[in-house]
Amino acid sequence: MPVIPAELTRSGGMPTAEELQRRLLAGETLLADTANHLLEVVDVLKSYGEVLDAYSINLIYQAEQQFLNPFPVFKYLDGDLNPAKIWRHLNHDRINFEYAEYCMKAMLWHGTGGLDAYLDSKAFAANCAAIIARKRRRDPLLALLNPLFPGFLPELIRNAATTHALGQFWRVMSDLFLDLAAAERDGRVGSIPQVVEFIKNGLVTAAANPITYGVTIHGEHCWVLPPEAGLTFLVDVAVPYVEAVFLRGMPFLGTVSFNAQAQQISPDQAQFAYGALYADPLPTMGAGIPPSLLMQDMFRHLPERLHDVYRQRTRGEGDVRVKICSSFQKSMFCVTNAAINGTMPHPLDTPDPQQQAANRAYAGAWAARLARGRTDCLPAQPTVGS
Amino acid sequence: MDMLHTLPLLSLLLAVPLLGSGALLVWPGQPSPQRLRTISIAVLALQLLLSLLLLLVFDPADTALQLREQHSWLPGIGLDYSLGVDGLSLPLVLINGALTLVAAVCTRDFSKRPRIYFAMLLLISAAVNGAFLADNLLLFFLFYELELIPLWLLISIWGGAKRAYAATKFLIFTAISGMLILGAFLGLALFTGQVDFSLTPVTTERLAMGSQLVLLGALLVGFGIKMPLVPFHTWLPDAHTQASTPVSVLLAGVLLKLGTYGLLRFGLGLFPEAWALLAPWLALWAAISVLYGSLAAIAQRDMKRMVAYSSVGHMGTILLAGAAATPVALLGAEFQMVSHGLISALLFLLVGTVYRKTGTRDLDVLRGLLNPERGLPLTGTLMILGVMASAGLPGMGGFISEFLLYRGSIESYPLATLLCLVGSGLTAVYFLLLVNRAFFGRLAITPPTNPLEQSRLDIQLAPVAPRESLPALALAVAVVAIGLVPAVLGHLSELSLTALSQAAIAATTPMAGGLG
Repeated sequence: MPVIPAELTRSGGMPTAEELQRRLLAGETLLADTANHLLEVVDVLKSYGEVLDAYSINLIYQAEQQFLNPFPVFKYLDGDLNPAKIWRHLNHDRINFEYAEYCMKAMLWHGTGGLDAYLDSKAFAANCAAIIARKRRRDPLLALLNPLFPGFLPELIRNAATTHALGQFWRVMSDLFLDLAAAERDGRVGSIPQVVEFIKNGLVTAAANPITYGVTIHGEHCWVLPPEAGLTFLVDVAVPYVEAVFLRGMPFLGTVSFNAQAQQISPDQAQFAYGALYADPLPTMGAGIPPSLLMQDMFRHLPERLHDVYRQRTRGEGDVRVKICSSFQKSMFCVTNAAINGTMPHPLDTPDPQQQAANRAYAGAWAARLARGRTDCLPAQPTVGS
Repeated sequence: MDMLHTLPLLSLLLAVPLLGSGALLVWPGQPSPQRLRTISIAVLALQLLLSLLLLLVFDPADTALQLREQHSWLPGIGLDYSLGVDGLSLPLVLINGALTLVAAVCTRDFSKRPRIYFAMLLLISAAVNGAFLADNLLLFFLFYELELIPLWLLISIWGGAKRAYAATKFLIFTAISGMLILGAFLGLALFTGQVDFSLTPVTTERLAMGSQLVLLGALLVGFGIKMPLVPFHTWLPDAHTQASTPVSVLLAGVLLKLGTYGLLRFGLGLFPEAWALLAPWLALWAAISVLYGSLAAIAQRDMKRMVAYSSVGHMGTILLAGAAATPVALLGAEFQMVSHGLISALLFLLVGTVYRKTGTRDLDVLRGLLNPERGLPLTGTLMILGVMASAGLPGMGGFISEFLLYRGSIESYPLATLLCLVGSGLTAVYFLLLVNRAFFGRLAITPPTNPLEQSRLDIQLAPVAPRESLPALALAVAVVAIGLVPAVLGHLSELSLTALSQAAIAATTPMAGGLG
């Protein structure tokens, strides 16, 4: 149970679960279709796309180039060690790659979907054993660590596998969001339903993309996530990502403090509701928390059009991260909307009563979860990002 | 330095704000409120500078009144223009200079009669300086009364919705206080047969104890109203609640100190024998006042009333120090006067900022103001610092005051001291309640103003501009500075207060006993 009652953190105008289910089944969008919402969603997704590009590059770099490195001191530098970049890094003039790692850890911790199932399989254990055996031949530290802590290196490889898979997922999403911005600029997208449709099409197109991951150790290529594992973009990575980051999240890294000893956190991780769709955009008694890190990063790449709008609202740049978070939640509802539409069991216009019932159950389950989120951002609002 | 000695610095401390006040009233044309404010700030800055110059010529080793200026005025009634300064009054003159300047700087509402407002502010500052520097009982009384009407005007014209009630209550209480003080001074002349009201020749040792007790009783009630002590305190929360922020700063920071100063200077200083007789009861009175003030503060929902009741508690500790009358306790009282002046001024400034930005001081409504994005984070940070100082946490002025005060009184009055310590502990309770309710938690969402309006938005607070926070920042620095380097203030006052204590002790020894 949250410490802060919902009525204190949610403003009015929250649609009910029934209303959300009706919209999903009617093919309507969750987010109201207004010009303000379109501007917010497209521009904030453009900045998110830029940030995801950097996250993706870094995660893949970490997984491939810093593999089983026990002291990855320069892991955020993407292999570029020139002094100016190191100075910018130390001066914190940089992207917060820590946020990408938090998301990876959330996926690893919640462990849902095909990727997690494969990471627990015997095939993966065999891959790990082979990799470790090869790696320890010329690495005395690993040769010492592995027998002392036999679970340690496999866990690092599990980390690396999730890191790489998330990097691949964000590679696709980054391109998709940047394409969306280009489509809106070209006039191909001009409304919220078109935004949702564009994202849905992108997800469906990439749905079957294989997720693989291999490393080269002493000149020999070794698979961590081999093609024969059959992992694919949508089911094995995108859905677990949405579950872990959008929906469940992590209570101690959220925007509100919770007390586990006071039974304020459910012992069942499946009941967690601390993800991006539930986060209070207004940070409470904390700084540097992950959603704030993402907002800082998005602010660096904020399109001038949206930046101008933010400058005119409330405290201008003084509370810009709150406004970005609010816009970001709207955009994430659009992405979730697209994912639900793309994974609906049957076409919405099916005449078959059984298929209609299946759709109703599917949409109802989603609506019940989403109704507890920050749905107060969904209706048309008088100001942008307020 | 020699040139400074030739300057009539004490008269200048009266003349500069007094002339400034007059100049504002007769300033030709219709000067803009901003210009009036600028002139006031310039005058008050000059006054503060003069106060600081006193530090260069003041000799802490000399326990008598220094830099004396004497001119015969109305010898027939014993009224002389006679000024002097010692270690008891010098720090108070300094905080008067500083806090009046702060009050002028933090004045934001120019909507009503700015000319009179700033003139009254300067007049009060002159009167307070006069009261602290007066070396003549009647002169003290004149200045003591002089600040009454301007302050009444400041509350009744620039106050809140119930300002008329609060101002009238203040006027009645303070007028009674003045009458009692005047009565005591005149009674002194009557009983001693002296017409000279100069401080130095006034002596009560030949007075019968009954007469001393009557006169001291009048002073205790008179100054007890001003401090204020329970049960004469009821005017203070109302006055604070209705007064504007700058007036509250002055009221808590400076004007209450007229009561504590008067009590020590005239109560303890003139009637040491009677004082010694009453001291156990005074200590008990102090404990009751401290506990009552603290418990009443806990019950408050209005931030300003809470800070006002905290003043009742803190002023009570000065009575305890006076009752003990040891050098350490009196030094603690001096520290308490200065640090309470600065801390309460800081707290009232911050409460004023909260009220200006949110439109309320209700602790049942406010929450989450420390929010870094849309709250008042700097105000909240300074508030936490202020309440920590008020609760007597080490490293800040409040700690030095209370440590010295209780250290000096515990041997004489252990039970009363322990009760006062409980009251000090309660300071942490009510101020943590204040901080917890108003500043921690989630920033409030505005209630729906229109029932038809479907959506509510997070409360939209205007940010506090850096220049708005400057006075509070300066006060916070001063509070911490006193806590870290208390020796500076201690050096100024220590010998004067030791002399006051020794005089009181000497007067109560059998050798020094008089006819009474």
